[in-house]
Amino acid sequence: MDNIAAAKLNNDEIFDLMKQFITEVIGEEFVEEMDITMESSFTKDLEMDSIEIVSFSEKIKAHFGDQIDFTGWLSNMDLDQLINLDLGTIVNYIEECQ
Amino acid sequence: MPIININNRKVHIQELNKEGRETVLLIHGMFSNLSVYYFNIAPILARHFHVVMYDLKSHGMSERVTHGYDLNSMTDDVLDLLNSLQLSSVHVVGYSFGGLIALKMAIRYPDKVKKLVLIEAPDPDDDKTRDIIDDYNKEFLEHYVENFTDTTKVKMGKRQMERNHRMYEYLFHETTIKSDMLIERDFFKAEELLKVSKETLLIYGASSNCLDAGKQLEKKLKHSQLLELNGDHNIPIQEPVIVANKMDSFLKQAILSPL
Repeated sequence: MDNIAAAKLNNDEIFDLMKQFITEVIGEEFVEEMDITMESSFTKDLEMDSIEIVSFSEKIKAHFGDQIDFTGWLSNMDLDQLINLDLGTIVNYIEECQ
Repeated sequence: MPIININNRKVHIQELNKEGRETVLLIHGMFSNLSVYYFNIAPILARHFHVVMYDLKSHGMSERVTHGYDLNSMTDDVLDLLNSLQLSSVHVVGYSFGGLIALKMAIRYPDKVKKLVLIEAPDPDDDKTRDIIDDYNKEFLEHYVENFTDTTKVKMGKRQMERNHRMYEYLFHETTIKSDMLIERDFFKAEELLKVSKETLLIYGASSNCLDAGKQLEKKLKHSQLLELNGDHNIPIQEPVIVANKMDSFLKQAILSPL
């Protein structure tokens, strides 16, 4: 079970947590074949579809609670921004929000 | 993921702004899932309303079910969902096939429905929809994705192609979806359509091949208005903010009475 994080995470810790969430959402067998980096884009590189991004968003919500409005942040993006969204941008956003 | 039991099956739901005084239920279309609303449309509506989204059976994160894709079964699911969430009456929004479910709700359970928004609800008698199911194979999906999904700008990669292929294979070959959809082919001709008295907003893409269906519904539903937006059948993905704001304005207006 995810818990609300008490301590502020650094950039590397957030990256590892995001990798863990991605693995939980798309499955270990697919992640093994991928080289997930800060430059990995959600739709092109990780091939996450929108319902998987919903699951990913829910995991962020469950972990960080109200301190991060991840869905609200995504909802302000247009389709091009969403398609090009990479992991580094998400990690930086979460770090700023903490 | 929030999962509830609907007619003994696990159904994935999402709710926003649970404190909202009135509720808007958002129903997605066939072969889609609640994410069509989740990122843009739902958050805009949630500024004023309690918003409920759910994945139809065998879609998104909901459990697979071999039968019950006709509009009676689909509206039984909606009724059970509303009862589970203890919602007495709600605004109902449906996109594409979800629009047909929303309309059927207004026919079968009018007390449960406040206002209706039907986005790109197709005429079930349109052969194009059924041809897709009859002709389906993996090559078809690859061809379809290559040629017809450019209006949403998202191209499927290999893993997504496989995922979608598995969903289509399951729905087309292991469920009653084909025969259940055939049952509904005369839905637009049914007398019961003329009795729907709910205020209805019809949203269609001006270049959609479903626009004729919208025009038919505008004639048949006595308190309806047709809104044409620039786009095609993918209008909620192409213009989510406009679609959401139009719905928000329509739903915020006081219900006219008597209807």
